Amino acid sequence: MSIGFRAFALAGTFLAATLPAFAGTLDEVRKRGSLACGVSMGLLGFSEQKPDGSWAGFDVDFCRALAAVIFNDPKKVTFQPLSALERFDALKAGKIDILARNSTWTLDREAGLGLLFAGVSFYDGQGFMIRRDNKAVSALELNRTRICVQAGTTNAQGASEFFATNSITAEIRTYPDGPATLKGFESGECDAMTADNSGLFAERLRLARSSEAVILPDIISKEPLGPVVRNDDVRWYTLVRWVNFALINAEELGVTSTNVGEAQRSTKPDVRRFIGVEAGDLGPKLGVTADWAARAVAAVGNYGEIYERNVGSKSRLAIPRGLNQLWNEGGILYAPPIR
Amino acid sequence: MKRGQPPFLPLATLVLALAAGPAAANNHRQAERISMEIGDEPGRVATAEQVIEEGPFARQLVFFRSAEPPGTIVVHTSERFLYVVQGNNRALRYGIGVGREGFQWSGLVRVTRKAEWPDWTPPPEMIARQPYLPRFMAGGPGNPMGARALYLGSTIYRIHGTNQPETIGHAVSSGCFRLANGDVIDLFERIAVGAKVIIRHGASI
Repeated sequence: MSIGFRAFALAGTFLAATLPAFAGTLDEVRKRGSLACGVSMGLLGFSEQKPDGSWAGFDVDFCRALAAVIFNDPKKVTFQPLSALERFDALKAGKIDILARNSTWTLDREAGLGLLFAGVSFYDGQGFMIRRDNKAVSALELNRTRICVQAGTTNAQGASEFFATNSITAEIRTYPDGPATLKGFESGECDAMTADNSGLFAERLRLARSSEAVILPDIISKEPLGPVVRNDDVRWYTLVRWVNFALINAEELGVTSTNVGEAQRSTKPDVRRFIGVEAGDLGPKLGVTADWAARAVAAVGNYGEIYERNVGSKSRLAIPRGLNQLWNEGGILYAPPIR
Repeated sequence: MKRGQPPFLPLATLVLALAAGPAAANNHRQAERISMEIGDEPGRVATAEQVIEEGPFARQLVFFRSAEPPGTIVVHTSERFLYVVQGNNRALRYGIGVGREGFQWSGLVRVTRKAEWPDWTPPPEMIARQPYLPRFMAGGPGNPMGARALYLGSTIYRIHGTNQPETIGHAVSSGCFRLANGDVIDLFERIAVGAKVIIRHGASI
């Protein structure tokens, strides 16, 4: 037993001597004075760079919330636009602290790439857009239709598998890129167009008459998107994970960017714990201050505010909440309690 | 209660409420409300049977997980949407105008009566504030109650149309839920007397 322990201790000493001292991502971010956040190279509603160089969007706001938790300043973020090909390598190489770039959570990306998804911030999935004069109300009514889809995406395969499963005969027409696919739909070469739902809402805005297109409520694939971190720092992972949960809990509790100050005086125990006026040791357990969750909400609002402002009813995209609604309001967002 | 009484409050009260309200808090909400300072405009004729066709408040079928039976109406006050549950995790969603702050309520009621082109009898409190309002206005295109009304339980609240479709998506009423006339006509056809109506608003701190 003591030999075993000694061997273990020796191995530990050996490891510590050969590996560079790893202070932890949170400490490094603090030392650097800003959060390095990987985002997409430009995706309507999720991450867009404005003419003045600033960034805005749903994914951008997640990093701002995290920066607010750490620095009490949502501006202390450096955004790094990354292509789909380079995003995971950039994270693994430590060029960014967090990837908030509409990435789908899959087994292979965790077990294969050595990454961790800190949760789901947006439930996306493959959907269909049809013309308004087509009276279909479900993807199951697309029998004997022509479907436009972009080549080289998983959407073509997704559509053909869905049609085969449901004994639907449809002609799938592939196009080399997004604009060509949309043009095929707009010119009437197809009766419907398929892509991930968030993409369909963005594409619809490019139609000459967007009101003539309808996006069906059916989602035929699972594309859960969320923030990603490396799997070598569980402390950092836990913090990122709970920032996501805090934004969702804030909406459920009714804590908003406008009432977060008043919430200090709330008599509701779960609101008081959220704000940190009660159970003030929870924030420090994450490595941050007692008012960590209040800081995030004060900076960017709760989940519902972030959603509506960037991709929901207060944005041009106008994507219905759908699955991305609270579990008690018709969706599936369910965050563990802050206590 | 008199038939067709809408619990609208006029512009003057809105301005008073703003002046008396907590001045520091909710600045942007106030701005939003000020931009929608629209009193009732009896006699104003909206485009006949107008439907909202574009944007988030257009009528559309959406994903909606619910254990309620098809035909149930769920009103989300804070979202400014009214859902008609369709089953199979679907609901038909309409954009609505809702009660402004202090005039929002939640509860479970039933549709007790339906009326086409309902008459309008402003209640005495309203006449006192806005003496120029008509004492009675027969139903028709210029009536603030709009094309159809669904009466909710024994409350003074209704789901009704409007002659001011631009107020959809805003918090301007005194607790009624208003839809564009074309949309309320569509809703009217789908809903039977006795239908369950659930009114929800977001949690409060």
